Amino acid sequence: MPHIIDAPVDVELSADGDPRAFIWNRFEHTVIGQPQAVFKRTRWWENEGTPTRIDTELWRLDASRGGEEQHRYDLRRGTDGSWTLALDWG
Amino acid sequence: MSTGSGTTFSHLHVASAYSTHYGVTLPEALAEQTAAQGANFLAVTDRDGLYGAVKHVRACVAAGIRPGLGAELAVHDEQYRPLGRVVVLAHGHSAGRGYAALCRAVSAAHSTDRDALQHGAAGHGTAQHGGAQHSAAHGATAGPSISRARLADLAGLASLTVLLGPDSDVGLAIGRRDNSDAAARLAHWQRALPAQAVVLEIVCHLAESGTVGSVTPATRMLALAENAGLPAVLSNAVRYGTPDEAVTADLADAARFLLPLAELETPQTNGQAWLKPAGAMRQVARMVVDAGLHDNGALERLLGDTEQLADRCSLDPVSDIGLGRPRMPEARIIGVTGDPVTELWRRATSGIADLYSASGSRAVEAAHAQLAHEMKTVEHLGFASYFLTVSRVADIIRGMGIRIQARGSGVGSVLNYALRTSSVEPIANGLLWERFLSPERQTLPDIDIDVESARRHDIYREVFRAFGSDRVSLMSMTNAYRGRGAVRDAGLALGLPDAQINVIAKQMWRFNARDFRRALEEKPELEALATEVRESQQLDLLVDLTAKLDRLPRHISVHPCGVILSDASLLDRTPVQASGMGLPMSQYDKHDMDPMGLIKLDILGVRMQSAMAHAVEEHHRLTGESIDLDRVPLDDAKTFELIRSTRTLGIFQIESPGQMELVGKLQPEVFNDLTVEISLFRPGPMKNNMPLKYLQARHGEVAPDYIHPRFEPILRETNGVVIFHEQVMRLFDELTGCGLGKADVFRRHLGKPEQLPEIEEYLRERALARGFSVAVIDQVWTVLAGFGSFGFAKAHGAAFALPTYQSAWLKTHHPAAFLAGLLTHDPGMWPKDLIVAEARVLGVPVLPLDVQSSALDYRVEDLANGSQGIRLALPELVGSTEGERARIAQHQPFGSLQDFRDRVHPRRRTFEALARVGALDTFIGYDRTRRHELLAHIQSLRGTAVVIRADQLAFEVELPVPRYSGLRESGGRTGAITSLELRGRTQTDLELLDLNLAVGSHQMKRFHALFKELGVTPASELGNLPGGTEVLLAGVRRATNTPPMRGGRRVVFISLDDGTGPVANVVFFHDAQERVGGQVFQTNYMLVRGRTRRSGARGVSVTGENLWNLFDVARQVKERHAVERAAAEEAASAAAYAAELAAHPVIRTPAHRTSGGGTLHQLTAAQSA
Repeated sequence: MPHIIDAPVDVELSADGDPRAFIWNRFEHTVIGQPQAVFKRTRWWENEGTPTRIDTELWRLDASRGGEEQHRYDLRRGTDGSWTLALDWG
Repeated sequence: MSTGSGTTFSHLHVASAYSTHYGVTLPEALAEQTAAQGANFLAVTDRDGLYGAVKHVRACVAAGIRPGLGAELAVHDEQYRPLGRVVVLAHGHSAGRGYAALCRAVSAAHSTDRDALQHGAAGHGTAQHGGAQHSAAHGATAGPSISRARLADLAGLASLTVLLGPDSDVGLAIGRRDNSDAAARLAHWQRALPAQAVVLEIVCHLAESGTVGSVTPATRMLALAENAGLPAVLSNAVRYGTPDEAVTADLADAARFLLPLAELETPQTNGQAWLKPAGAMRQVARMVVDAGLHDNGALERLLGDTEQLADRCSLDPVSDIGLGRPRMPEARIIGVTGDPVTELWRRATSGIADLYSASGSRAVEAAHAQLAHEMKTVEHLGFASYFLTVSRVADIIRGMGIRIQARGSGVGSVLNYALRTSSVEPIANGLLWERFLSPERQTLPDIDIDVESARRHDIYREVFRAFGSDRVSLMSMTNAYRGRGAVRDAGLALGLPDAQINVIAKQMWRFNARDFRRALEEKPELEALATEVRESQQLDLLVDLTAKLDRLPRHISVHPCGVILSDASLLDRTPVQASGMGLPMSQYDKHDMDPMGLIKLDILGVRMQSAMAHAVEEHHRLTGESIDLDRVPLDDAKTFELIRSTRTLGIFQIESPGQMELVGKLQPEVFNDLTVEISLFRPGPMKNNMPLKYLQARHGEVAPDYIHPRFEPILRETNGVVIFHEQVMRLFDELTGCGLGKADVFRRHLGKPEQLPEIEEYLRERALARGFSVAVIDQVWTVLAGFGSFGFAKAHGAAFALPTYQSAWLKTHHPAAFLAGLLTHDPGMWPKDLIVAEARVLGVPVLPLDVQSSALDYRVEDLANGSQGIRLALPELVGSTEGERARIAQHQPFGSLQDFRDRVHPRRRTFEALARVGALDTFIGYDRTRRHELLAHIQSLRGTAVVIRADQLAFEVELPVPRYSGLRESGGRTGAITSLELRGRTQTDLELLDLNLAVGSHQMKRFHALFKELGVTPASELGNLPGGTEVLLAGVRRATNTPPMRGGRRVVFISLDDGTGPVANVVFFHDAQERVGGQVFQTNYMLVRGRTRRSGARGVSVTGENLWNLFDVARQVKERHAVERAAAEEAASAAAYAAELAAHPVIRTPAHRTSGGGTLHQLTAAQSA
């Protein structure tokens, strides 16, 4: 079962623009393997205000803290470029 | 040129905003963005066409990148079964071969038989993609589609590349996870198309797994390419430049499917179809490659092949597309065997001999000198064929017996006059060749031709026939979203109720939709809507979405007058599709003509030309005389007398109330005065108060100010006021010696404030050197800079003045024929009922509708008393069908009512209406008193009419209408059937009901007794009153104008018709509008109190002070009469009583008011009460 985190995190990007690591709870989590980006569309017309994006940017990736066991995470990037750790899939 | 190194990425599949209801970014923005992102190539591949192609290529040239062109087209197989949509890309650096094949492919897609396609799609309904399902589900007709065989032909000689992407049948099979079907379909494509023409297109929008646009189908497509040994390229199937425009694309989808967003079956999968920069595209490529099992080099190969194809598809704007290279029809097509220049010289010189010899040898010499001057430029620019082409078209039109009149700056050319393309003599009229063409003017010349509106389509067909349909095409025009359309489509997308959208749409005017939010804040009339918007989240969204749609291309349609003429390569250079009238129409619009070197002729239908032609025809029919309007002397005294009288109703250009007033003030005496008048009555000159300045100088109230003696020859014709472009050009030339061609460049730049300092500096320096003082330069510069882009080309004015004069001449000398033309073709601003009233005043009776003599148009009839009348035309009968009218015209005259019924078989409604307006009076011996019997008889007819074949002779059996009244008199019991319909209604009411025209008498006639009693001044008498006279006017409203005024306050002009003469024009200024309120727009029958205002010798208008509804006034007067009658009776009995009392003087009589006199005061008292 995924674990809802919903916490702002700092993300370090590779030269290609993929997340390479993120800092959560003061600990750096290093991405392992190729992270996958997914853009999910929204039903924006049901919300207030005119959107600047019609989709949400999610990155599904595997990462580990130090040498610990890796977890699967969903990172969400906001339209302002800020990152949120959305889910911990375990 | 480029590599797959990852620093640059070339987009090969991009829809611009000209893919209407699909793409949402204009080509210019896409090209600029591409350059800013560091890429050097961009292809635009609009859906079903090359709609944005020319704009794209020009934008690429401007942005310094390489253009590619393609089209996204539907393809079908030999059984018309759909094969999905593919991208067809033109190969470059092939001397235009690739671009030509692309144009032909698009045209082919549009010429496919739609019925066959529909059939093919229906028989193949199992396996198509979302879009096709969608449109089929909603009953849409099949769109354009090209057969694969035709596409294969065109792709030969390595001209085209066909991209099979996710929407192709191959991609759709991949989407269904049916890899073997995909492979089989791909093999089919490979067999059908030339080697190397097929390339697979990988698209990935990073959508959620399991949906369209995810990495899975993309990586499978890549594997399919590898297995088949075909190259694959990466594209982003772009629909917008930036991610924030994805919202607009959602709106476009809703508008395309006519469904609210919430109900779309296949909305775009996410918002990733934007013009991504190289880094983002490389990221996509990496994810696609990583998601499948591909070898190590797959990523670089994919990106490398993409760049390689981009190189192949880079078009050279000049050698491939022919940008900027004019192409005229071949010499033999325009009837020239030798050198076009020699032929042009020959025709022009013989034209001069013919046209100028009557004006003396000096005029001939001057014309030859001017011709030599013009021909120098023509030869220099290589436009000889152009002039021959236009003159050929003019000859064709004239050969069809159709009236033709050139308009626009081309009228300034002796060459055009000598070739008879134009009928205005330019030298004596002071027109300038350089306003039309000069070496400094880089654009193709533009000659507009006005023709009879009723014959325009005939002309198009004849031009297609004469030049060949491979050289001629109609031009299209792009219609863009404006306020109302934008709010409707945005409302539709949000699923707002129609009624609510309608209410909002009605308020969307007088501001740009993109400024919707600001308008809500600023405009008091939108206050209610603004409140609603503040309270509703959905309406708030609507405001933003409406602004997003504003100005986007919405659809294309045929241009109302543009015809493209070219050589046999035309269809290699422009794609065509069918227009509404069936003839092919280019997908390019007027902005594309000049860059593409396409010659465009504006052949514009003008109703006045049809009206005049009708008049000439009628005159010929009745008298056998032929009038050549173009040879009528331009100095006819009676014609100018009529114009000066301001009775200009029906005359071209000068019939509006404002023009009537200006004509009255100006008092034209010669043809040039008409040119001046028409040029002054334009928004620019009006706003700059030029009419007043000119009139003051013309009538000697101020001395003309020529600023400097050297300007006098230039400004004399307008008494020192600069009105014409030609004068500005001459001033520049006189001041700087720059030559007229350069002067025209300066003139055009006057409208651009940023150019002014540069022009001023040049002008001051040169003018000083040429001996003008600083004071003079200061003064003339103020005039020139203030002129800006205003004013009018005298060539336009003179071209308009000619039909003005011609129509005035016809009205003066052949009023019946002229009015018949006006009534048939309805060219002007006034309602026909007023034209009928004018005819009555001119002593030309309008004869009632009569099934024996009314034709499909208005005909002049010679009357017994030697005068002429106009017979009402059959189409005026409200509710009659075309078939009924045609049968009447075909079978008249009729022997009897029975004969009429059998041959025409009119519907009951038409039959009765004809009887009511007296069109069947022939069957009752024109005894109007029996019309109710006729109507009752028709109403009693039950059986069906005997159908008689068109060619059969009538049964000559008279079946008269029974004389019911006679029967009644003789005591017959059943005879007393009369029609109730005629009871209590006047003939005028019935005519207005069934014809919208009061034929018998003026609809105001019933009020004339009332007018007399109230002391209403007849409109015909108004001209005899001094200014400042208090008057009452009354009548029916014929026109309302709210012209732009200096100072910005709205002024309302109302034209009232009381049946006595021309309309009386009443002006309501701001204070009066406040007093009168909404009635100024709402009341149609009115009584007005005001004061006369004299404007010039003949002009009189009335400044309105108050306004009443005429029916209210009539009722009040009637009531007062009743009261007065009662009072009079009382007074009479009181008098008798008084006489009786005389003997008893103790009792006094009570005081009472008397009537008579002072009606105006009583009226106002009644009104204020």
